[in-house]
Amino acid sequence: MKDTLALVQKFNAHPDSRCWYVAWNPNGMLLASCGGDRAIRIWGREGDSWECKTVLQDGHQRTVRKVAWSPCGNYLASASFDATTCIWKKKNDDFECLTVLEGHENEVKCVAWAPSGNLLATCSRDKSVWIWEVDEEDEYECVSVVNAHTQDVKHVVWHPTQELLASCSYDNNVCVYKEEDDDWECRATLEGHTSTVWGLSFDPSGQRLASCSDDRTVKIWKECNTGEGAYAGWKCVCTLSGFHGRTVYDVAWCPLTGALATACGDDGVRVFKEDETADPDQPIFFLSAHVPKAHAQDVNCIAWHPKEAGLLVSCSDNGEIALWNYQSENI
Amino acid sequence: MSRESDDLFDCIVMADDRFHVEGYREGFNEGTRQGMIDGRKHGASHGAKLSMEVSFYYGFGITWKCLLQNNATLIKQSLLGLIQKFPHKDPQFENLQEDMEKVRAKFRQVCSLLNVPTDFSDYVKSGGSGGMSF
Repeated sequence: MKDTLALVQKFNAHPDSRCWYVAWNPNGMLLASCGGDRAIRIWGREGDSWECKTVLQDGHQRTVRKVAWSPCGNYLASASFDATTCIWKKKNDDFECLTVLEGHENEVKCVAWAPSGNLLATCSRDKSVWIWEVDEEDEYECVSVVNAHTQDVKHVVWHPTQELLASCSYDNNVCVYKEEDDDWECRATLEGHTSTVWGLSFDPSGQRLASCSDDRTVKIWKECNTGEGAYAGWKCVCTLSGFHGRTVYDVAWCPLTGALATACGDDGVRVFKEDETADPDQPIFFLSAHVPKAHAQDVNCIAWHPKEAGLLVSCSDNGEIALWNYQSENI
Repeated sequence: MSRESDDLFDCIVMADDRFHVEGYREGFNEGTRQGMIDGRKHGASHGAKLSMEVSFYYGFGITWKCLLQNNATLIKQSLLGLIQKFPHKDPQFENLQEDMEKVRAKFRQVCSLLNVPTDFSDYVKSGGSGGMSF
């Protein structure tokens, strides 16, 4: 059976503006989207289709660039170009703005919750990455500000199991951060891309990191252990080039199946599968499925469903969200 | 005798070359002198900007330390850390940029902890504004 990527549903989420990001909540029952219309929309399943349950309109004064659910699913964080990050608390079907995190000098580009639920990371065009700690009383405090990048930081992502953070930037690099003596520091700088790195995704085990870039490639990085106690760093073990016609804006590694999905500026959505027979230190990925005109404009984000294998969501500059079903013989 | 005539012709023939070399040497010295003056001015203004920024953070830190005599220890610790990172009177060129970045980052964090709005645009450089963002 040939691998397929079939459209399940497509709908307009953010009228007359870009849909910048989509995120599944931890149990997969809700989908949050955000866009250039400054709104956050929460979508829920109604039978076979997804309907808008809530619209959070007045949280931000400018574009909402990314949204992230807390690991418990009760909180939603939104990062906006108005330089603030808003923390929303879920109360039944509605959300209330709990607090607004300020401090970045300009546009906040990303927000991400650590798997422990106690830490939050934000990054901005002001080239810094901020790490915040939240206590039992829902009080947020900034624990570190790190200036490891020399340009606009586009994305931050936490390791699935360890307290490790990765960020990527317009300066073409990926930085990895660890906590040292109560302060977060950049422990490794991954150089290799020849243009802006837009997105990052850890594999289910956290041993590998995928990065996607404006240089039209996706790179797979692996942590190398010298076994001597010193932090050895990461090296690039695979580069997927020649598959994407334009900038690759997002990459998502499926936590259930290990498939790798990408969102591209050529309006296409692609899914890559790993060759099981390859050497783990020199992985090989092949293009498993490709929808060339998945959207009418640039695809900004792509995300795998956390519980349902093969369910994929993407969103685009024309404000649309699309749901896909990926079928592969091995799943 | 032949040596004399050699010298005579030498003067004339090598005149062009000699003037060339002399002119170059004079120009080089003049340029070096001017370069020193310009460089000094440049260094002075750059140094002034940097120290202005560092002393601003220093003053800020000390003021808040006094104001918070009675209060929260965690914040005081961060502030003390901030002040201690300062003694950069000597330009240890290698780590200067890195340390400055660390100090700036610490300052931003402290402002966040104190809930102080950071609109110090007269003193601290900030990024560009307005227009498109992605």
